[in-house]
Amino acid sequence: MPRVVVTGMGVVAPGGQTVSDFFAGLVAARSGIRQIGPDVFPGSSPLVAAQVNFDPAAYWPAHQSAQFDRATQFALVAAGQAIADAALVLDAEESMRAAVYWGTGLGGATTIEDSYRHLFATETGRVRPSAVVLGMNNAAAAHISIAHGLRGPLLNISTACSSSAASVGEAYRAIQAGHAEVIVAGGSEALVTYGNLCAWDAMRALAHADPVDPSRSCKPFSADRTGLVLGEGAAALILESSERAERRGARIYAEIAGYGNASDAVGISKPDAGGQVRAIRLALANAELPADAVQYVNAHGTATQVGDIVETSAIKSAFGEHAGNLWVSSTKALHGHLMGATGALELLISIVALERGVVPPTAHLDRPDPQCDLDYVPNDAREMRLRIVMSNSFGFGGMNAVLIARRYRDGQ
Amino acid sequence: MDTLVVIKELAAKQFGGDPDSVDADAPVDQLGIDSLGFLEFLFELEDRFGFPIPQDAVAGVRTLRDLGAVIDSLRESATPPTPI
Repeated sequence: MPRVVVTGMGVVAPGGQTVSDFFAGLVAARSGIRQIGPDVFPGSSPLVAAQVNFDPAAYWPAHQSAQFDRATQFALVAAGQAIADAALVLDAEESMRAAVYWGTGLGGATTIEDSYRHLFATETGRVRPSAVVLGMNNAAAAHISIAHGLRGPLLNISTACSSSAASVGEAYRAIQAGHAEVIVAGGSEALVTYGNLCAWDAMRALAHADPVDPSRSCKPFSADRTGLVLGEGAAALILESSERAERRGARIYAEIAGYGNASDAVGISKPDAGGQVRAIRLALANAELPADAVQYVNAHGTATQVGDIVETSAIKSAFGEHAGNLWVSSTKALHGHLMGATGALELLISIVALERGVVPPTAHLDRPDPQCDLDYVPNDAREMRLRIVMSNSFGFGGMNAVLIARRYRDGQ
Repeated sequence: MDTLVVIKELAAKQFGGDPDSVDADAPVDQLGIDSLGFLEFLFELEDRFGFPIPQDAVAGVRTLRDLGAVIDSLRESATPPTPI
């Protein structure tokens, strides 16, 4: 079966719009979370979010960027970076076996929200003709394919917060199964909009703004955590068969070693350790690795009361005694929850950690919660020669996707 | 304002370029405008002129000058103009 490697990466995220800048910010525990301005959220109580300081004019003339939802703009930039990073060149025949496996939670949410706002506020019955193709969930995947002439399988996976983890996992399987040789895999999301903020706030899932320092509002695994912080952005990885990557002399960042996907079948919003444990175990079995081979876990760690406890318990069940040796961090404290984009982003972080031997911390963890009692790498980055890393992604609906990456040379 | 001037100005905004360089006599598809792009363009023109531009009225339109003539004739028959 072909081995699957990562040969390129790209990112547009709160706190950084290149892989190097973004990762350096995480290691330095620089938060991309800010109080939201009244232009986005005119509500009375202050809310925080992790927004990307993104200027479409840096990439496209206005008439072109108007044809892409904000989430698609992020996707195109991240995918473009990853393709350039991989120095990917495809001839006509190869392009037929080059795929896009993308992940989005809501897709073109900004377009949809703007359209409804205009429709209901003006009562004209008029919606922009491009609203359908800007707003649809698969728009980002389609535009990546169009921009780069990728003519193989084109899929968009939408499994809430695990969307892009699942897209990377399914891309890995597609290359193993021979359906494609190279895949642009990842996800994008742009949900920092008035309507989405109201909806998440109504669920009482959003973190309260930290009264002293809003950038410290997201506190995974901390006793004083109050909820998640919405983020936005995109992450893209170039997955390639190792044979192709070796043949063309590509730089190989890591090997995708395992993928596990399992559902809770318990509740639409209630996380459950059962599905999470099985997803972790399936990923380990797929990678043919014992649990104690894993050194670092990038946790889902959204900083909700229940979620962090359930994930802690799932890690303990799946890893047994080794759980205490693991370094576990939630980088969401710094980049927020990118929803459909977050799984790919956090796998990317895990791969850079593997490559550089530096684990970014769980920031803002000053008051340990007795029910969250693993080593969460609090506040300060740590160095270790890493061989095996894991990234957890758990979505509403009980949709759990777990990915394992390892050093490529180790796997031979 | 002359209808064609407005059309060229909006076309430049929507499809890129300079209003003066928009060729009003070129076939629309040669201006890089696909069918959905043309619908978006009609939508903008409806907003600007304040009356609907029915699909059957533009069925024979090949150039922006044709479109200007259609809009002029619609404008004459639009009584009273319906602000939208």
